[in-house]
Amino acid sequence: MNTVTILIVDDDPDDVLIIADAIKELHPSIQIVSAVNGEIAMEMLTNHSDLKAGLSLIILDLNMPRMNGTQTLMALKENQKFEKIPVVIYSTSVNSLEKEKCLTLGAHSYITKPLSYKESISIAGYFIQLCNIPSLINLPG
Amino acid sequence: MHEMAKVTLENEMDLILAHKRSMKLAEIAGLSLSAQTTFATAVSEVARNTIDGGKSGRLILNVEIDQRDKYIVACIKDEHAHNISRAGLEYAKKLVNKYNISTKGTETSIELFYYISPTFKIDIQKLDEWRLFFRNEPPISPYEELKRKNEQLQKLSEKVQKSETQFKTLTNSLPLIIFSLDLEGQLLYSNEWLIKYSGETIESLNKNRWKTFVHEDDYNTFLVLLENKIGNGKIAIRLQARLLDKANGEYLWHQLSITPYKDDNGLLQYWTGFIVDIHAQKIVEETLKDNRELKQIQTQLKESQQSQERYIEELNRSNQELQQFAFIASHDLQEPLRKLVYYSDYLINQYSSSINENGIECLTKMQNSANRMRMLIKDILIFSQIDKERINLNDVDLNMIAHHARQDFELVIDEKKAILIIGDLPVIKADERMMMQLFENIISNSLKYSKKNLYPEIHINSRVKDDCIVLSFKDNGLGFDEKYLTQMFTHFQRLHNYIEFEGTGLGLAICRKIAEMHNGKIWAESKEGEGATFYVSLPTYSNVHN
Repeated sequence: MNTVTILIVDDDPDDVLIIADAIKELHPSIQIVSAVNGEIAMEMLTNHSDLKAGLSLIILDLNMPRMNGTQTLMALKENQKFEKIPVVIYSTSVNSLEKEKCLTLGAHSYITKPLSYKESISIAGYFIQLCNIPSLINLPG
Repeated sequence: MHEMAKVTLENEMDLILAHKRSMKLAEIAGLSLSAQTTFATAVSEVARNTIDGGKSGRLILNVEIDQRDKYIVACIKDEHAHNISRAGLEYAKKLVNKYNISTKGTETSIELFYYISPTFKIDIQKLDEWRLFFRNEPPISPYEELKRKNEQLQKLSEKVQKSETQFKTLTNSLPLIIFSLDLEGQLLYSNEWLIKYSGETIESLNKNRWKTFVHEDDYNTFLVLLENKIGNGKIAIRLQARLLDKANGEYLWHQLSITPYKDDNGLLQYWTGFIVDIHAQKIVEETLKDNRELKQIQTQLKESQQSQERYIEELNRSNQELQQFAFIASHDLQEPLRKLVYYSDYLINQYSSSINENGIECLTKMQNSANRMRMLIKDILIFSQIDKERINLNDVDLNMIAHHARQDFELVIDEKKAILIIGDLPVIKADERMMMQLFENIISNSLKYSKKNLYPEIHINSRVKDDCIVLSFKDNGLGFDEKYLTQMFTHFQRLHNYIEFEGTGLGLAICRKIAEMHNGKIWAESKEGEGATFYVSLPTYSNVHN
């Protein structure tokens, strides 16, 4: 059985760590890979075919240097090889117009970054659900 | 032939004079007394015939010096009547050495020659002396005296007339006005130029005191000159005035100069003056002055432009800095703050067993403060981003905006069991993001200041008034005293303590700024405890606020 892999694209290492820890807490066997911007993410996806094979979800920050979230989202959805992988926008911004724009561009959903530990666990649970694998523990709330 | 003296031959008195002059010339030419008498007799004989029967008779006494011989010559000219004989001539012919008779037109000329001794020296100087002698010869009789005076007067008058004509021609040919004035300022004389230029006569100018000629703005000064200064003036007067050019109906600038003329005793007799056209000079002068002023204004304009450019530059720079600050506030400040919130929560949740109650309380306070700061930063960012540079006018469906706002507040609405009733809202030209912000802020306000014992109800409606759409947001919340209205729409003005109701004090200020950006207005009506209605009026075709 392939290892389930989640790709987190975010320039903030703390944010990567917070959500990665939460996911690991819920499901330690999920493999988590990260890229600091869209450009690196696209490069990783293109050059490492084994990464692509087990990839179940892409968590995408919006505000990033070099290639931002919207640009990355468009690049992913324009490419036949990646268009089926669900992309969740994961950002601080809560602007509903921006939210709608991302959804139009093909994002699966839009999640605001957590402000509490509880929130982070709940978000992690949601991400795992999207990977179509059963959660190991019961989700809080 | 050298002329020595002249005698007109008109009457008996002239005959005597002719005789005496002839005697004298013979005498000073060194002839003997008998020779003198012979010559004078010959002249008298011919002259008598002329007086008796000729017109325009005259005797001219000369000295002739040719290569060999010297003569005294009496030349008698007249217009002789043919019927009267010249009996004397026949006799005279015999008395002189040589004679010559010639006729030119009606005039007959008889020349009688008498030898001067070859030993007698005659030179130019001597001839001049003789001539002078005859000119100064004392009158032989009162008659001759009178005659001579008359002749002199005649000559003088001829000379004066000639020089006056010359003078007039001269003054008339000058391109300036020349005139003289008496002590009452009356014109005595003027050249043609004045008459031609003014279209007036000396008489008419004297009569109207130049009033029709001098420009009304300059006339008072001119009149003072004419009536006061001239009477007792001692020095030359100068004046610039506009004078009417009759031919063109134009007033041209002239310079008047008049100078007093005094007699030998220093008594003022009259004034002489001239007037020169200085219009071109005056115009050049004025143009130069205008030019100077223009240049000065230009320089000032340039300077103010430069300083304005500097201000604009400065403004752009500070605007840019503000935008940079906004970015830093949005991203770089918000991010660490979010971490602060998250990690303090993490501590409270994951390490609660190792921290005592006091510690937990401190952490909670820290978390609350960080949260408040986060909201503040968010609102400042929003406030600073509402400016006309960023406004982007499009057709905005306000129904869509209202429904989006409802979605954004879903959690709170559910939690408070609030009801949001959205009426039929129009599509307007506006900035979509700003409209969204406006709706969110007003709805958020109503939800926040709701009554604890009542489910919040918010009605959003619109109506058309004149050229405006008036939106109303009516709630059943706490309401407020209307005396706080002005305060409410000013930034950082809060009616409540933040412990009671969280908030930054920027929400309504942002709404006001958005409304104003769209050339609209925001106001509210309320009574404390009876809910509030917020109104936003926006022009149907909103223009960017400049």
